[in-house]
Amino acid sequence: MTALPIIIDCDPGIDDSIALLAAFVSPELDVVAITPVAGNQPIERTLRNALQICELGGRTDIPVHAGCHRPLLREPIYGQFHGETGLGNTDLPLPAKQAEAKGAVEFLIDRLGEAAQTGKRITLCCLGPMTNIAMALRISPGIASGIERIVMMGGAYREPGNRTMTSEFNMLVDPHAAHIVFSSGIPIVALSLDATHQVILTPDHVSAFAEISGRISRQLADLMAFWDRNQAERYGSRGGPLHDPLVIAWLLAPQLFETRRARIFIEHESELCMGQTIADWFGKSGLEPNADIATHVDAEGVIALFLERFSRYRARSAA
Amino acid sequence: MSRRRIIIDTDPGVDDAAAIFLALASPELDLAGISVVAGNVGLAASVKNACKLVALAGRRDVPVYAGAAGPLIRDQVFGKYAHIGSFADTLVPETDHGPQAVSSVRFIAEEALKAASKGRRITICAIGPLTNIALALRLAPNVAQGIERIVMMGGAFASLGHRTPWSEFNVHADPHAAEIVWNSGVPLVLMPLDVTFQALFTEEDFRGFEAKGSPCGSALAALLRTYDRSDIKRFGRPGGAIHDAMTIAWLLQPDLFSGKEMAIGVTLCGPTAGQTWADFYGKSDRRPNALVMSGVDERGYRELVVERIAGLALTSGEREIDA
Repeated sequence: MTALPIIIDCDPGIDDSIALLAAFVSPELDVVAITPVAGNQPIERTLRNALQICELGGRTDIPVHAGCHRPLLREPIYGQFHGETGLGNTDLPLPAKQAEAKGAVEFLIDRLGEAAQTGKRITLCCLGPMTNIAMALRISPGIASGIERIVMMGGAYREPGNRTMTSEFNMLVDPHAAHIVFSSGIPIVALSLDATHQVILTPDHVSAFAEISGRISRQLADLMAFWDRNQAERYGSRGGPLHDPLVIAWLLAPQLFETRRARIFIEHESELCMGQTIADWFGKSGLEPNADIATHVDAEGVIALFLERFSRYRARSAA
Repeated sequence: MSRRRIIIDTDPGVDDAAAIFLALASPELDLAGISVVAGNVGLAASVKNACKLVALAGRRDVPVYAGAAGPLIRDQVFGKYAHIGSFADTLVPETDHGPQAVSSVRFIAEEALKAASKGRRITICAIGPLTNIALALRLAPNVAQGIERIVMMGGAFASLGHRTPWSEFNVHADPHAAEIVWNSGVPLVLMPLDVTFQALFTEEDFRGFEAKGSPCGSALAALLRTYDRSDIKRFGRPGGAIHDAMTIAWLLQPDLFSGKEMAIGVTLCGPTAGQTWADFYGKSDRRPNALVMSGVDERGYRELVVERIAGLALTSGEREIDA
């Protein structure tokens, strides 16, 4: 089996970190690079957090390229549920690992350009605002053909927003970047709030993860425990929605998801609805679909998948 | 005297050609490179034109970079003279000179970062849509610190638009890029249509470009005759504007121009997207972000442009022909 080459563009972030840690122990995935961007936290912190998570997961071999320091047009906003460091109360040593000299946008241009030349295309996982890839596409449009697909966490189609009434955080941070990506012709798999709100990581789940995850058990449990929104009236129980890890889950086990094809759009002009994502479910726009939007998730299957993956850290600590 | 290091960000373009020639003819300026952007014409034609212009001037040492192929967000629009495409070989001779491998955006960002670390900042003359410069500013937070000033041709305040009734082309083609650049904190000098429409060039000036036998002067005269820019209904007198060269002229002789610091902005969407406003009378709470020019010594400007370009590449041009 050849591993699927992926680049993880992210803004860690608690749920980003869980997604990274899951990807690290999945031999089906070849993590070519991690490209942090400003989002949940300013770039200095998302970069540092990505480096720390690489060290925690024992994957200091993966290059990390620092991405954009702010959205294209809108003023920066940051996440509300990730604590001061971006990793909750998780106590991690300052990283010894350094970011690569090359910035994320330049890396994406060079590496995806190479993929476009060789035909060995790369899957891009977007777990944060899409500033990095939008910049790269505007500087070098030819790199689009080096991208197999974009698997993104973001947007809210049938669900309301989580940062404003209409808008999911990643989309609201940089709606112009999302517009560039949605208009690029690159195939998209969209894990929106419609999907992620179906997979709630409950306190019971957190205990189960803590039990099986070997040498990262304490840090993983700290990350996950901080994620509890304690908002049962919204999510149906205690716990927090497993946003970003669903991107990794879809790559590993797409059979756990039902998707529906549609054209997706983003509002980038109206202040009231800024960042709202819209799906053309019934072909009203006259434009071809550009995305497979996850509409239903086998939540138990996803939790079971991740429990099995994180149990691999037990084996790794023994090694 | 230390020469001022500049980048010309451009979409040539006839009046872009005048600006590039004026810079090449001016020893006060050290032209680090020409960063090309899609605008008046598509990117490939703009790049070709820039290469033809530097080759004709015998200045292949000035690197040409290819940049953004279209605007950040809005659909692409071209100039009124888009049909020009790349300049006909009969007007500007063909060349095998080509652009550098690296993008305009990376060139601008790297020049600015180098300039910031050396403490000798660079000036950018922006005479096309601002897409390249906006992208460069977003590449790294320190890029802005390496730019001393952006001297831009664009906008229309007291004057009406020329690409649409409400908008000037360079801003209209990428208003989001203008929003990014104008709010970047980099000092801005703006040459809007208000001032560029005040200096009109006629056949007498075209003959002046040719007077000394400069290949560049002759090519520019041919371009200006072929693509007539006069509009007697609008200007009430004969002649046409050479907008872009005003940015270079300001660097050479700022006292030719008069203007005032004020807040400026751009409309990003809706039916009047690309419209620019300037707070001439302090009606907004926005701090001034640009020195907006409103007056020019027409004769002084025309003489400067004609005299300098007429003398460009007289010897090096002959040397190329001999070889």
